[in-house]
Amino acid sequence: MSGIVQPVRGRLCAILVLWTLVMNMNLHAQSEMTAEEVLNIMTETMNPQQSKGTMKMTIVTTSGEERTFEYRTFSKNGGEKSLMKYLKPTRVKDQAILMLNDANDIWVYFPRTKRVRKLATHAKRQKLEGSDFSYEDMGASNTFIEEYRAIRHDDEKREGRGCYALELTRKPGSDAGYSRILMWVDRDCLVPLVIHYYHDEDPELLEKELVCSDIQLIDEIYTPMKYTMHNKLDNTQTSLEIVEVMYKIELPDDLFTELGMQR
Amino acid sequence: MMKIVAGCALGLLLCTSAGTRDVELFGYFEPQYNGICQDGTYYQFHYNKLRTDLKSRAVKNIEFGADVIYLLYHGKSEWNLLDFLPGHIRSSVPPETHRVLEFAYRDTLFLDNVYARLTLSRFALTAGKQQVSLGTGYFANPTDLFNVKDAIDPTYEQPGHNALRIDFMLNHRLQMMALYSPESNWEKSGKLMRIKAGFGRFDFSVMGSEIEYMVTDFPTMHVRQRQRRVLGGDFVGEFLGLGVWGEGAYSFLKDEEGEDFYEFLVGGDYTFESGLYTMLEHHRNSQGESDYREYDLNDWMRFFIGETRTISRDQLYGFVQYPVSDLLVVGGSVLASVSDRSAVLVPTVEYSLFENVDLVFMLNLYVGDDGKAYGSQMGNGGFIRCRVYF
Repeated sequence: MSGIVQPVRGRLCAILVLWTLVMNMNLHAQSEMTAEEVLNIMTETMNPQQSKGTMKMTIVTTSGEERTFEYRTFSKNGGEKSLMKYLKPTRVKDQAILMLNDANDIWVYFPRTKRVRKLATHAKRQKLEGSDFSYEDMGASNTFIEEYRAIRHDDEKREGRGCYALELTRKPGSDAGYSRILMWVDRDCLVPLVIHYYHDEDPELLEKELVCSDIQLIDEIYTPMKYTMHNKLDNTQTSLEIVEVMYKIELPDDLFTELGMQR
Repeated sequence: MMKIVAGCALGLLLCTSAGTRDVELFGYFEPQYNGICQDGTYYQFHYNKLRTDLKSRAVKNIEFGADVIYLLYHGKSEWNLLDFLPGHIRSSVPPETHRVLEFAYRDTLFLDNVYARLTLSRFALTAGKQQVSLGTGYFANPTDLFNVKDAIDPTYEQPGHNALRIDFMLNHRLQMMALYSPESNWEKSGKLMRIKAGFGRFDFSVMGSEIEYMVTDFPTMHVRQRQRRVLGGDFVGEFLGLGVWGEGAYSFLKDEEGEDFYEFLVGGDYTFESGLYTMLEHHRNSQGESDYREYDLNDWMRFFIGETRTISRDQLYGFVQYPVSDLLVVGGSVLASVSDRSAVLVPTVEYSLFENVDLVFMLNLYVGDDGKAYGSQMGNGGFIRCRVYF
């Protein structure tokens, strides 16, 4: 019996040693990751190839009043294509927003007039239904990588978790809506926990703070189930909760078209 | 009495239908209070509007939609278009015509839209009374041969049109639309084809149409339906960071009488970092007059009843909007006739009172001289509109 146990124990020890080595190497590799690498993995985690979900957006106004919106979201190609269709309130029901090319092309569909209107890039700065999220915040998946230069600072603790601290500076000639972004990315899940967005014209003026919380593993993808955007200039707050989300799905390309918006 | 019975029957149908699965019942109630000051006299007229929408997706790939509008007017509901004409035109109108120019807002109940829409992956067929919205312009759409927008309130919904419409998507940036709007015979019916394509940051479309339009000679009150073929197109995109768009339509008359005419519009917009949204459009209507001294009774009346979009040839439309807070948006527009140097200023305030309750306050201040397109004879006024969605 012991003859059998011994080799097993020996093999277990070897596996343990190997696992420890791999983990150490992994940790070492993680601690050695560059800002770009962290940003790339985070962007990939936050923008799965395909997704379909229902979101609830609650706007808390300066006077403390609440406005709630519910909408269905669809995204493809890692967020390069996305479609939002409002479910509630009835004021905006069936209104749809189609964003292609990382929100560089935006179309809005108004169901009462059956009109589709194309918005220019500058419209990305407009607030989405008066919320603290802009079209750019909602639609652009690759903006952090393409429009900003990233550097990594010393790791910090945020929301009680170890985080990579990154600083993103807007590239010259970019039309991205923020001059500078600071973000703290969870070392284990590689999802952002806190993001600070700085004003378009003043890199020292903090405009918005996004806090991501309630991280759950859904279809093998770490997903913050709640996002809270605090507008520091207007002193307003918008929270975005994921009611349901699916990643293991196949969405047709036809969905991300003018006809798809109206369907 | 018939209207009440029809209304009750329709209401019952809507309520019964709404109780079944896959049927949605929604809409809004909209009271609006208007005031106008004309020739030193202040008038009030108001309406209560109830729009009830029904939508069903009970059958796979088929959507059925309908909405019923019930309008109740009160206050000064009887008007005479004569009162809005410039003094020198008014005096030239023969007395026997005066009564013809009278009109009244009567309580109405009507089926605004009722359609069925079959949608497959790249194809949609819509049959029935439906919304037809064409063109990229904001204050006017020269390629939209079915609607004439109210320049003071251009985003307000338009009535439905009887049509059979096919949309076909050849690829994600290339689509085709064909529309047939049946009348008493093929000749009189409206036919429209449109191809839309996307290139880079731009969407382009070309369209061809054959459609009747109405021309009224007001001194004799003779109405003629004239055939025309229309070629047109539009674009929307981005240039040097500005949103840009344009559309134009050229009408070829099929009969020998009268001249061909055209309309075009170009516009641009920009949103500043502060959230301030700005827009400017230029519109030309070759049917409009370039000299205001040439405006005659026909020009004015055709403008009032929507047979032509504008009375003057060239106009500029400017629009600004600023979100003061998350619930309050202030803005305004100015519509100016370049041809006769008159303008109307339209300051606007929009407030989200509750979750599904919006308030709109709008003024219209005509600053042109009497006799010009946006002259003082139109009467200054404004309205408060509340919309409660359910």
